Amino acid sequence: MSWGTQAALLLTPYLAGTLLLLLVPALLTLALAFTGYDTLTPPVWRGLQNFVTLARDVRVGQAFQNTLIYVALAVPLRVAAALALALWLQGRRPGAGWVRAAVYVPSVVPPVAYALAGLWLLNPLYGPVNLALGALGLPAPAWLAEAGPARVAVALLAVFQIGEGFVVLLAARRGLSPEVLAAATVDGAGAWATFRYIVRPLLQPWLVLLTLRDVALSFQNAFAAAYLMTGGGPYYATLFLPLLAHEEAFGGFRYGEAAALMLAALVTAAALIAVFWALWRGWGGAEEW
Amino acid sequence: MTSTRRLDGLRGWQRWLAGLAALGLAACTLAPTPAPPLTAPPSEAPVAGAVSFMVFGDPAELRAYEQVVAAFEAAQPAVDVTLIHIPGQNDYRTRLAADFAAGDPADVVLINYRRVPGFASRGLLEPLGPSLLRSRVLAPDDFYPEAYYAFYWQGELMCVPQNVSSLVVYYNRDLFKTAGLAEPADDWDWDAFLQTAQALTRDLDGDGQIDQYGLGVEPELQRLAPFLWQNGGLLTDNFNEPHQLALTDTKSLAALEWFVDLQLRHHVVPDAAAAQAEDSETRFLNGRAGMYLNSRRIVPTLRESAAFDWDVAPLPSRAGQRATILHADGYCLAATAANKAAAWAFIEFANGPVGQPIVAATGRTVPSLRAVAESAAFLDPAQKPARSQVFLDQIEFVMIPPLIPNWADIEEVANAELERAFYGQVSALEAARTAGVRAAEYFEQEP
Repeated sequence: MSWGTQAALLLTPYLAGTLLLLLVPALLTLALAFTGYDTLTPPVWRGLQNFVTLARDVRVGQAFQNTLIYVALAVPLRVAAALALALWLQGRRPGAGWVRAAVYVPSVVPPVAYALAGLWLLNPLYGPVNLALGALGLPAPAWLAEAGPARVAVALLAVFQIGEGFVVLLAARRGLSPEVLAAATVDGAGAWATFRYIVRPLLQPWLVLLTLRDVALSFQNAFAAAYLMTGGGPYYATLFLPLLAHEEAFGGFRYGEAAALMLAALVTAAALIAVFWALWRGWGGAEEW
Repeated sequence: MTSTRRLDGLRGWQRWLAGLAALGLAACTLAPTPAPPLTAPPSEAPVAGAVSFMVFGDPAELRAYEQVVAAFEAAQPAVDVTLIHIPGQNDYRTRLAADFAAGDPADVVLINYRRVPGFASRGLLEPLGPSLLRSRVLAPDDFYPEAYYAFYWQGELMCVPQNVSSLVVYYNRDLFKTAGLAEPADDWDWDAFLQTAQALTRDLDGDGQIDQYGLGVEPELQRLAPFLWQNGGLLTDNFNEPHQLALTDTKSLAALEWFVDLQLRHHVVPDAAAAQAEDSETRFLNGRAGMYLNSRRIVPTLRESAAFDWDVAPLPSRAGQRATILHADGYCLAATAANKAAAWAFIEFANGPVGQPIVAATGRTVPSLRAVAESAAFLDPAQKPARSQVFLDQIEFVMIPPLIPNWADIEEVANAELERAFYGQVSALEAARTAGVRAAEYFEQEP
């Protein structure tokens, strides 16, 4: 059997899965975005009416704003935390394995369990976070009961689920040539200079990859936390686009509007990624790629 | 406007009767049907096949439904009933919507009357009026009309009411005794209610923080509504053909301000942070709230978990005007059900003289059948609450919101604005105005 045949056979299940579970539903959703559809009666062509309706809904603008704030908070924090931990834990030291495992563990906790744990951790009166802040004499916010702290809380919870990015950067860091790092040391570079001029540029492709992936991911992964912890509140402060689409579809049987909302979210995410990519290329990133 | 006010002031079933009469349907739907004795056989003819039945509820309710299913399968051996149990009510709603969206709902489902129009208007439910009129087990007259007519949609009975619960005041009898308070009288009013709540609100350890609240209540439209009605206010501009919320109506707004003041001015209800830390139901269960507003729904939980003596009282009245809001689920038959005969036989059995007492024994329901509600199955003196009769006494004062397809959306936007007013972020007037503006589109929108 030729290499090509083997590859085709191996890829077939994934291609079939991608086609049936991703591409076909995505295309159907794309088509539904221009229809009125309540699942019982056939879809009715509405053109751009769904988008006009969404534009008039104050929740939609709020959901876009919340989602963009979440992306702006969560993505840099997640990538920076993964990088810092990967650099700190890349060496072979006693106990480092346990710490690496501890960093990864939150990523395998099911989102529902993680959200419920967050609910307990951030309880404004009885939660350990506020009890600790109180013990230190620091102000203890009401977290999920106030708009600003609630947005920060949902983003902060995402920062602890960085296992995959951490492993990728850990592997990338360990893959750096020891000779290059040794040469930098011989040339008199300190830790900061080595990071700035050697390590970061060499890890740049991975950092860009993780950032782009996180931007795409952040448009959907706040759903469980918002659904279970805040219900989108207080007063829509944590109403993210997927949660609003869920409410429109399953709460109001407005599948056309929900599809339009997800299409708008997809376009926005793609635009953000394109802008980031263009900026990176503008900074000479493509040469380092 | 005068006629609108008069119509909105009527109780739910009376308004329906008025509406039906106007449509010339009253004679048909109220045709005298001989009420069979409640010892009638469970079904007139044997049926066969498979039926799926989806419910929500705590373990005690699940056990009751399992008993109902077992009893039905014993009576109808050729029918196999699959019971699908979803523990939480919110998860149940999500599952229900998802199943209907997928075109594969359970054959028999429980749906709240406020949500029935949303399903019925899309043709998702099989009207059950004709089956009920043909039934030898059940008849329309067996049910409390307040529950029965709440399940009508465009002149047809869509679901058969399972219960006729309403909003009441649960109270912690131990905390009342500790505070030296008399138990709530059947005819207490807003002032007595507030004074009681104030007496129960206490800083127990002297640290300046309230440890025990007088009252637990969610800032939601369905909690506020009875107080609007008691004050002579309106929920919407017109019951049968509503076009907007009427929260800015003078009397409605006064009731809203009184409701908001319970938290903002009198501090007898937890503030936003305290409510986030512990919801009202949990706070009451933990003995940290003297009173709590809810329907019959929490009785099984209280029986199971409350470590204190408790009972129920009617909602307070305003200047002698009593009102409460209906809380009722109904057995509904999905239009897609493959075996409607068997599914109806199950509904007839589960909601009949055999099934209703089994479910009522859990404490969860106020049976919609008069004979069951007035029997020991509901009024068991050995079971809490001792004042279960309160639920029956309130039935004549039960009112309902308009039955329109988008009511769930209207409640959602109104609740968001009410919450802001309740926790002091905007004035009651601003919340009422904003709720009215935001809800307007849902009154006009096609389902």
